[in-house]
Amino acid sequence: MSNQQYGFYTDTSRCITCMACAIACKQWNGIKAGTVARRKVHTIDTGTFPNVTRTFISMNCMHCSQPACALVCPAGAISKREEDGIVVVDKDRCIGCKYCFFACPFGIPQYNEDGMDKCDCCLGNGVPSGGTPHCITACPTGALKYGTTSELSELVAEKTVRFIGVESLPSSVVT
Amino acid sequence: MKKQENITREPVVDGVAASGTSNASTASTASNASSASSGSSGSDASNPESGLSRRTFVKGASVLGALAALGGGVGLFTRAATTQEALAAEDDFEVRHAFCQMCGPARVHCSTHCYLKEGRWLHVEGNPLAGNNASPGSKTLCGKGQSAMQVLYSPSRILYPSKRVGNKGEGKFERITWDEAMDIIVTTLKEQKEKYGAHSYGVLSPQFYSVLGTLGRRFLNVHGSPNYLHSGICNSQRFFSRQVTIGGSTHDKANGTDSTQLDKTKLLVLWGYNTENSAINQGNPKTRLDAMEKGLKVIDVRPMMDAMASKADVWVPVRPGTDTALVMSILQVIINEELYDKDFVENWCLGFDKLAEHMRDFTPEWASPITGIPEEQIYEVARMMGTVKPMGINIGNGVGDQHNDSHWGVACMCLISAITGNLGIAGGGSANMIMPPSLIKTKPIDLLPERLPQSQEDVENGWMAGVGNLVAPETPRWFQRAETQESGPTSAYFKGLMSVLTGEPYPLRFVFGQSSNPLSATRQPKKVAKALQGLDFYLVMDTQWNSSCIYADVILPACTNYETSQQFAVRNKANGTWIGMNQQIAEPLGESRSDWDFYVDLANRMGYGADFWHGDMEECLREQLEPSGISLEELRASNEGIFIERTDGSKPQEPEYQNYAELFKDLPEGKVQCFNEWIGGQLNNLGTGTLAYLPEYKGPAENLSTTPDIAKEYPLVITDVHAYRLCNHGYYVGVPYLREYQPYPWVKINPATAKSYGIGDGDWMRIVSPHGQIQMTAKYFEGIAPNVLMTRRGWWESCEELGLPGYTGFDDGSEVNVLYDSNPENFDLFNSAMSKQTLVKISKL
Repeated sequence: MSNQQYGFYTDTSRCITCMACAIACKQWNGIKAGTVARRKVHTIDTGTFPNVTRTFISMNCMHCSQPACALVCPAGAISKREEDGIVVVDKDRCIGCKYCFFACPFGIPQYNEDGMDKCDCCLGNGVPSGGTPHCITACPTGALKYGTTSELSELVAEKTVRFIGVESLPSSVVT
Repeated sequence: MKKQENITREPVVDGVAASGTSNASTASTASNASSASSGSSGSDASNPESGLSRRTFVKGASVLGALAALGGGVGLFTRAATTQEALAAEDDFEVRHAFCQMCGPARVHCSTHCYLKEGRWLHVEGNPLAGNNASPGSKTLCGKGQSAMQVLYSPSRILYPSKRVGNKGEGKFERITWDEAMDIIVTTLKEQKEKYGAHSYGVLSPQFYSVLGTLGRRFLNVHGSPNYLHSGICNSQRFFSRQVTIGGSTHDKANGTDSTQLDKTKLLVLWGYNTENSAINQGNPKTRLDAMEKGLKVIDVRPMMDAMASKADVWVPVRPGTDTALVMSILQVIINEELYDKDFVENWCLGFDKLAEHMRDFTPEWASPITGIPEEQIYEVARMMGTVKPMGINIGNGVGDQHNDSHWGVACMCLISAITGNLGIAGGGSANMIMPPSLIKTKPIDLLPERLPQSQEDVENGWMAGVGNLVAPETPRWFQRAETQESGPTSAYFKGLMSVLTGEPYPLRFVFGQSSNPLSATRQPKKVAKALQGLDFYLVMDTQWNSSCIYADVILPACTNYETSQQFAVRNKANGTWIGMNQQIAEPLGESRSDWDFYVDLANRMGYGADFWHGDMEECLREQLEPSGISLEELRASNEGIFIERTDGSKPQEPEYQNYAELFKDLPEGKVQCFNEWIGGQLNNLGTGTLAYLPEYKGPAENLSTTPDIAKEYPLVITDVHAYRLCNHGYYVGVPYLREYQPYPWVKINPATAKSYGIGDGDWMRIVSPHGQIQMTAKYFEGIAPNVLMTRRGWWESCEELGLPGYTGFDDGSEVNVLYDSNPENFDLFNSAMSKQTLVKISKL
């Protein structure tokens, strides 16, 4: 596998907040209801009735090119894989200090009894590097995509990007 | 990846190419193909287990997934499974096919792959061979579908038969054996048939339920009762109304106003149409989003800005219960401004002038204060609908069955579609693409309608057999003919139950509630509970406990789809035809039993065995499969189904457009009923008066514009969503993965309104109507009018895993049906639709 950076892309013009991605993530990773959520679908409503704009965005770990979580981890539990850029956690090394949560600009890290928990692009449930994570397979509207950054950039260039009216968030998230 | 292990049937070119539409050649194709699929395993069609081991099939499934993905259409960056991936999946899991039951029991919308490890079902995904979600190769499923495992293993499953030992409603039961239970049921049914007549037996039909629609109806016919108590919450309501307005030879084939050629449609109007909640993985919204990306304009009419409404070009937040007034005013503008197709109107409309005259005063100025929609927006929408062509109107259950004037609402939409010249054109209504014939033929279960006794009254009036004996005809008796209600006569669910209290025209004595909770499926649970209490015998068969169980005389434990292998489905697509069958994922939990087996056994014990395969469901399945040439064993062994590719080059064809003589041939004078000669002047379904010829707005029993005195005390409008994406009506609310996202009964409320009552986001609030009161938690939402509340019905299920309770269906509980009017005189007098809108006052709890 060559050095690639894999990432996710949410086409907010197609997300309908059906929760298929979020629940697919739980069932394939054996995550119990009411515990952590590696993938969340956020709803941003702006304006007042009847002039309302709604944006739905499915988010998980961005697998950042320079992951702040890994930089601050005192235990060296978080690393970025060279071959595919996936940011992974070694739960055996995690000491549960939660520095990573404070460092992450997206508030991604969550914790259970084993330590920090977040998306690993389904490596942990048997999807090989470069394979399709289950949240992507699940998405009924084709809003959610996964690929290398160059593939995703091409896709974004092809799409008419809809401005969503919230300056703090890009309409589509590519890392 | 060894090709010979691919369990897809290799198409037999000569068989299909020469087939045309004949069953026989299809059958020969299928049987030939079975040997082609055997490859190195050396199986033969008559005994596939002998050659194809379990493991081979599993491996086949993995490889197929890869092939389907390679075939494309899955998505730009969805990769084909690598060999390693396929092998990993194969080593770790056993993969079995089952239809997802999260949209209801015995549903076959989505074919799924279920991943088992050491006998336990752990994961699920869409079966790429089945063409789910209108996408060949798709593995997608909705959120509900992703949670299906938790239904099978739910701690709320009913595991044993039991009988009531306390008073009705007390909830005291004693475990009994299946034989004891069946003896009680059979003895009671026989005694009652003798004493009160077979029509004293009725079945509750919730949403369409295959077991009931096939074996249940057959049992009714053979037993001799017409009382299929149809919920009135169904697409039937709008089918009936369309049928009598723009035609269609039967209920199922009523002409449509919706577009099935979205790529050619310029304007799509969605009215009370909620597929992002009700049918996420059934092709729409995906195909609509695709069309919108290519320029389709969308008008979305509904009270709440659900996800797809937020993506529409125009959102029309109609006040709940006033859709008929809104559509009447749109029709008025189109007529008044002459935006209609004059040629069409002249040649194909009956009584257009009378309609035009009648509609004169139903202006946007009249409708605006009723509907809460500004006049300018009504004009804007009407002019778009009158000028942009092709236009399609998708009429959803939101308007079709939940208004007490739903018939006229639907009829007006049909009339708009017709007079604007949007019927029978590409991208408009009634212009479906014609699929090439199915390559797999099967035989539907015969309902044996001729077995239902025809009374003298039926004969004299020309009604279909049984109509005279209906306890509460859903549509008027005169309308219930084989051509209009091909599956048989129907009574209305709520009105039928009320016969127990009124004794009119006679009381039902035995009601069977199978996968339906009457305390949530219809209006006013307080009255329904009284009726259940007054019944001689209430039988429940369900997978899980529901709140009506406490009134049951006997409760039977039903299997889920996943514990039985007794249902198959055929899908005919452009690229070929697929047939798949449920595989058994688990042994039936406890003593639970399949609903299919129950019916054939019941019939057998009743002495109807000759008509019910002598109690053997396997025989019933073989009979259904017979024309396909595929054996039951073969189909079961195929695991993820059998796909026969279309190789004769035939493709979906465009229909003959504007063939109005054909489209309207079943209508009086062969014309669109602007002045309705079919139903006008005829007796209504209560037999209390006649139906109108021209559109009428009635509105809910309590509403802001017509009952100002009530509105003074109860200033807000409330309604509830028909479907919600995290449960199936009231069912599956207790599923942990789903309950997580809706832990407490909720009501959407505009923040400004909530704040004016001191109600914070998430606070419990009391909601009181003239009919009852409930408690819910406030969910702030700007996408709803300040004087409207919108909630969801059915909160009886608890969730043990999350420690969350269920809530009662009576006063001070959380069942919104407690709030609504339930006077049958207020229901739609043609199709029995019941309004689910009323006025309320609220306070913080």
